[in-house]
Amino acid sequence: MDIPEQVGNYISGRIQALARMISFTVKVFRRILTPATYNSATRTVLINQIYFTSVQILPAFLLVSAIVGSLFIGVVFQVLKDLGLVSLLGNVLMGLMVTELSPFFTVLLITLRSGAAINAEMAAMQVNREIKALEAFRIDIIDYLLAPRVVGGVISVVLLSFLFSIVLMASGILFSRIIFGISADVYVNILLNSTNFSDIVVALLKCASFGFFITLIPIYYGLQATHEPTSIPIVVSRGMVKVFAAILVIEVLSLLIRLQ
Amino acid sequence: MTLFTGEEALDKALRRFMRARPRHAAPVSAAMPLISNQEAWLNIALIKQYHENMRVEESRKMVLGLLRDIGLEKIAEKRNPALGEEERFYAMLLRAAMVEKAAIVIDRPFKMLPHLKNFSAVMTVLKTIDGLYASCDIYDYDWMKDKYGALCR
Repeated sequence: MDIPEQVGNYISGRIQALARMISFTVKVFRRILTPATYNSATRTVLINQIYFTSVQILPAFLLVSAIVGSLFIGVVFQVLKDLGLVSLLGNVLMGLMVTELSPFFTVLLITLRSGAAINAEMAAMQVNREIKALEAFRIDIIDYLLAPRVVGGVISVVLLSFLFSIVLMASGILFSRIIFGISADVYVNILLNSTNFSDIVVALLKCASFGFFITLIPIYYGLQATHEPTSIPIVVSRGMVKVFAAILVIEVLSLLIRLQ
Repeated sequence: MTLFTGEEALDKALRRFMRARPRHAAPVSAAMPLISNQEAWLNIALIKQYHENMRVEESRKMVLGLLRDIGLEKIAEKRNPALGEEERFYAMLLRAAMVEKAAIVIDRPFKMLPHLKNFSAVMTVLKTIDGLYASCDIYDYDWMKDKYGALCR
């Protein structure tokens, strides 16, 4: 096979894979919006998913967000003071910390904890022929395994990102007093004046997209496992690489939307 | 019950059975295991929860009652890897019986219960739950017929 043919085959393979992924995404998205998807079994999976992804992680998440949030706030406030940009305090807090840092940090934590777990879980189910067993009992895989996990992922990322922002703001009260000598009242006032509705909407959409793809992609790749146990690490690593690529793409797209 | 001369013929018949009863076929087979990350009771209750939208508490109560009837209530909270061969088999049998108007097909039962000398213990359980299913077929190899005793005659 000559080089142009190899390149052509590679590109064609990539396009077909992307088309399959898009078609799968559309199918899952439509099913999520269908009320009939939510029966007693899928509701149970949804509740469990939210519990595992956002409730179980809560103590560690609060601790890490308090440490990381305080660190960032402290550094950013000090830089603003050194550069004489105190007037931009509110814009930096809302524009950078709340709409960019919070969703990004939250999605990284959830991907590391739940994305990898979901990917391995699906792959193990495929290897053990449990997916085939569900299908034999006419249990739709998208309804039962995908939709509740994806919805749980969306809800979890949105809620945890909101929580991270709250922790960030709270640590901001402390640092603004130490570094700038600003009272809590003035600090809150600065924040409220800098709040931009469109930024909040973009941040929410970004969190929802993050939540959607960091659960959908691991499931998609997990289901591509064969019946060989050795296929588990292959599909898990493939899925996780794609998840991180998706996070970067969403981050860039949201930035482009905000810049317009 | 139906006996086959080889694996290929049996697998073909099994597929035909499943295709012929798209809404009621309920397999009990080593090839269709329980879900590992769910407790035994949830594996059984899942069918009612999914297809009949039965509430979790109601389905749990029903499954615990059935497990008690066959003397296996202790397996309710166990997951698949923690179950013994017999416990796993009966959990799969109950799961199959949860299908509406279930047409149960037990695929090579002695593959799942290799230590069993004959089929009488399974027949006792099948009789206990006979109100739950519409029919029950057993597919196995013809060289296993001695193990089924009266069922083959």
